[in-house]
Amino acid sequence: MSLVRLVLANLWAKKSRSIGIAFAIGIAVMTVVTLTVVSSGLENAAAAVLTIGKSDFTVAQNGVSDILFSSIDDGQLHNVGSTKGVANAVGVLLETEKINAANPLFLEIGIDPGDLSHFGVTVVAGKPYGATANHQVMLGWRAAQNLGLHVGARFEGNGTWNTVTGIFSTGIAYGDLGAMFPLPALQARNRVAGSVTLIFVKVVPGFSIPKVEKSLTSSHPELTTIRTASEFGRADRNLVFLQAAATGSTVLAILIGAVIVGNTMLLSLFERTREFGLLRAIGWTRTRVVFLVVGEGIVLAVAGSATGVGLSFAATSVLEHLPQLTGVLHANYTQGAFWRGLYTGLGMAVIGALYPALRAANLTPLKALSHE
Amino acid sequence: MSDPGVKTRSEIEAHEVEKIYDDGMIRALAGVDLTVAKGEFVAITGPSGCGKSTLLHLFAALDRPTSGTIRVDGYDMNHLRHSNRFRRQEIGLVFQLHNLLPRLSVLGNVEIAMAGSHRPYAERSVYAQKLLGDVDIAHLADRRPTQLSGGERQRVAIARALANDPPILLADEPTGSLDSASVEAVLGLFQRLRQERRVTIVLVTHDNVVAGVADRIVQMLDGKVVSEQATRSL
Ligand SMILES: Nc1ncnc2c1ncn2[C@@H]1O[C@H](COP(=O)(O)OP(=O)(O)OP(=O)(O)O)[C@@H](O)[C@H]1O
Ligand SMILES: [Mg+2]
Repeated sequence: MSLVRLVLANLWAKKSRSIGIAFAIGIAVMTVVTLTVVSSGLENAAAAVLTIGKSDFTVAQNGVSDILFSSIDDGQLHNVGSTKGVANAVGVLLETEKINAANPLFLEIGIDPGDLSHFGVTVVAGKPYGATANHQVMLGWRAAQNLGLHVGARFEGNGTWNTVTGIFSTGIAYGDLGAMFPLPALQARNRVAGSVTLIFVKVVPGFSIPKVEKSLTSSHPELTTIRTASEFGRADRNLVFLQAAATGSTVLAILIGAVIVGNTMLLSLFERTREFGLLRAIGWTRTRVVFLVVGEGIVLAVAGSATGVGLSFAATSVLEHLPQLTGVLHANYTQGAFWRGLYTGLGMAVIGALYPALRAANLTPLKALSHE
Repeated sequence: MSDPGVKTRSEIEAHEVEKIYDDGMIRALAGVDLTVAKGEFVAITGPSGCGKSTLLHLFAALDRPTSGTIRVDGYDMNHLRHSNRFRRQEIGLVFQLHNLLPRLSVLGNVEIAMAGSHRPYAERSVYAQKLLGDVDIAHLADRRPTQLSGGERQRVAIARALANDPPILLADEPTGSLDSASVEAVLGLFQRLRQERRVTIVLVTHDNVVAGVADRIVQMLDGKVVSEQATRSL
């Protein structure tokens, strides 16, 4: 009769209660895992914007809530371009537009055709648009495929009809799902003449990238530089907020869950007073009784966490297919999300079970035995 | 296990033991003096409410006396640090109410008493099965306590009390609901324990036949020992 078998026998004897607790843990774990995979998915998607341009680093406005709200003017672009060590600086305007129900956040990139090669774009069909053309567009090959459009077709975007002059490839799925417009046309339509969203910078070979970044941000404190996906959070406050929400919900889930688990276990403990009294009377130590009760909590936590991860899979796949969220929500199932789910479940159960366990262990055996 | 110097004089000494409940309203024990030698078999009798169970619980370190001293196997009950270990290693206790765990099988109820004992895991189940055989219920090992008769439950409780080979066996009405054949089997087992392992036995009973098997009968009344008599000289 090992402790494990006793734990399982006890849980089995109260099946419906065990299932109830495990399910409550599952719901909390589901919330945490879903928030984590969604925020990590958003981080990936947003970081994908940055990887479109094949640059050494990207320059954005410091402290904006959404990286797409970053705004850099011509003067700053010029200053960045003439900073020592910068080989070239491509100013790009990024906008999103709802072009139809399936594409609520269609990516539109305003870029000078002369910068296309620096930016890492290849024209795979047709030719680039004119630098100051008004009704011309190039489509990413994935977007063209999705929309069923070819070179010469008409595409409604940027608030007007445009002729598709070419199809481009960036090598990045997110970029290939968008469109490119002449910079002045996109600026005019969005009433941001003379300003861009991001600057993609290539450093002169031999220069240290961090040093160039440093000299840039020290002379332009209103700008920030981003090199990796994790640095991306620095520039995007929405993402910081979402990550904080994921962390906060983990802590909350653990606390609320612990109270629920603790309460339920406390109730069952009351019914089992005689049992604990007996175990102590035949020589069980307090520690062993604590292990018994916490052990029951751990088994429930593991079962609940597994349920929660399953529920989270179901929840995200439903969310991803909601028309309002298509193309916005990308679940990114990382190992970290699973671990977070597991320790949320374990945290709830262990913290919740601890107080009942200590209560059980500290019962006076004789009094407990005469409990009705 | 522990210091053999302590082990050799396994016995019980109670001196002016008082146990008062409910702030003086109930005087369950009113100055008990009793000595039990190692390997002795003592029967305690007396009317209901005279304090027999209370005394047994004090011997088992399940409670402490209000005043007076008790030494069990050399341990001072007023200053016992590890009462769990004491109960596990020194005492086999058969409760007046059998107190079996309904969720576990008969075998599980015996094995559970071995938690934390020195017996290797692998041997526990086999030994529990042997103890069930000793009290003639080996065939009931897989049943639940609720599927047993009163007498069968009592025998499970006895098997459990013997799970850790205790030097002292305290039994509160262990034969209360047994038929005469089973009573004889249990008493035979007690005799064997005493002869083969020098187990000290204190047994509470209302049954004169059962008491007659002991070396000595201790009569209690109103929380006191009123008479002690040796039964036989072999
Ligand atoms: N926890 C308690 N609180 C208050 N009074 C108690 C408690 N336990 C026992 N008593 C009282 O102490 C007295 C002795 O009880 P005890 O159980 O020792 O009697 P007993 O001799 O074992 O009786 P029986 O033969 O009926 O089992 C009784 O009057 C009982 O009511
Ligand atoms: Mg009694």
